[in-house]
Amino acid sequence: MAEQQKKTIVVTRFDPDKDEAPRQQRYEIPVEPDWKVLDALNYIKDEVDPTLSHRWSCRMAVCGSCGMNVDGTPKLTCKDPLSDYGDEVEVTPLANFPVIRDLVVELEGFMDKLQKVKPFILRAKELAVEEGPTRQSPAELDDFRQFSMCINCMLCYSACPVVANEPDFLGPAAIALGHRYNLDTRDQGQKERNDVFRDDGGVFACSYANECSTVCPKHVDPSGAIQQAKLNNVIDWVSGLVLRRGGSR
Amino acid sequence: MSHAEPRVDAMKPAKPGPTRTAPPRPPDGFPSQGNYRAYLAFAFGGFFLMTVSFLVLRAVWALGNGEAAWNQLQGSFQNPIYVIFHGLAFLWLTWFILRLFRLFPATQPKRFGPLKRPPDAVLTAGLSGVFVVVTLVVAAILWGAV
Amino acid sequence: MRRMLLVLEPVIWLLFSAGMMIGGLLLPAWALVMGVAGPLGIASTATSYDHAFALASHPIGRLVFLAAIALPLWGGAHHLRHLWLDFGGLKSDGLVGALCYALALFGSLAAIVAVIRL
Repeated sequence: MAEQQKKTIVVTRFDPDKDEAPRQQRYEIPVEPDWKVLDALNYIKDEVDPTLSHRWSCRMAVCGSCGMNVDGTPKLTCKDPLSDYGDEVEVTPLANFPVIRDLVVELEGFMDKLQKVKPFILRAKELAVEEGPTRQSPAELDDFRQFSMCINCMLCYSACPVVANEPDFLGPAAIALGHRYNLDTRDQGQKERNDVFRDDGGVFACSYANECSTVCPKHVDPSGAIQQAKLNNVIDWVSGLVLRRGGSR
Repeated sequence: MSHAEPRVDAMKPAKPGPTRTAPPRPPDGFPSQGNYRAYLAFAFGGFFLMTVSFLVLRAVWALGNGEAAWNQLQGSFQNPIYVIFHGLAFLWLTWFILRLFRLFPATQPKRFGPLKRPPDAVLTAGLSGVFVVVTLVVAAILWGAV
Repeated sequence: MRRMLLVLEPVIWLLFSAGMMIGGLLLPAWALVMGVAGPLGIASTATSYDHAFALASHPIGRLVFLAAIALPLWGGAHHLRHLWLDFGGLKSDGLVGALCYALALFGSLAAIVAVIRL
């Protein structure tokens, strides 16, 4: 029988009560060929060092909890094969986020930004039940479907150079979700959202590094969404100017 | 992986949590890693856009000043530094526009009214073809072949 | 300064997008013919005053030259501003941005004069 393969997992550790700054800890563990990176972390937690903290839940790329940087690239660790890496694999918390403990990052900053784009259907007046459902054709659904696939795993924020430099930048996932509602035929909140998009840290802060779309595990293509949102915003802005002039006549 | 010093407090919550946190670090591999390099090289294309535009301006300005000024400018363009610069600008801007056309489809809405957006590869190939044709036509006109 | 640029951002972005397209489409051919082939003596018609003047002073020529000078300047200015930001220049962004666009504006105005006085 073949000898059990071993790998060294280099994990970032940070205990806010003891550590001045994050440090690295090495774990040499036996691994199975079909393991994902998350399996290695769970093995360490269960068998080697129960003090290790990391987030995970569904193990099937749906919940978006287990995003981490693996060898420097943002990955959903439940879907990232350990066999893609060498004998030594470095797992660090997502970049661009404050670190709460070990591999666990502070997500409240994202929640603040997400609320700003109002990622829900806005109506000037809610339809009464008697008025029936709001219909939407498959083609209309297809306009934004891709942007609704986001699982808020935050890999895009970890890859974005603008997030690193502009603390107010709404960021890829939040803008993609806002744009998703702007494209929804049932929604009437485009003007409200475009005011937010046009503000400091809005869509125009994006310099289209495209790295968010490269790392996105759900093919949302947030950078495409942001460029579309820019165009949408400019059209909105120009038509606003024309209307304002017309109104003052 | 580099653990460079954080530059700003990225993704900081409005209300701090109950425990202290370690500051965020910038994206790993920025700016040296492959995708970032291509992106920065693309942004640096802005330098070539600007300098070549200013050189075109200089040429049109010289045309307005008369034949002597134009010939003097043509003489200074024979400096090897200018020739190398223009050669580099040609290569850089060609790569620039082809990368732009590769990224272009995703930046467009899925539909323009009743028209559906063509498949990404078709759109990119079409635009790249337009670039080749425009470049050949403009070069031929400048060259005096048309 | 940053605030002012923010208000102008939709206009700047339109000029930027147009500048990338126009600059990317027209300037490589210019650089190759006028910057490489001409000086190397391969394209003698291209470098002759009469030919160049006839091209640039034609009504369509004037418009094309104006577009090929003014728009790419905005494309370049916007790119360089963001390049500065990418290396942590947020604090000086207002100043750097204003300088970049001022340069583009100056070049655009000069281009208008240049094609009119032909």
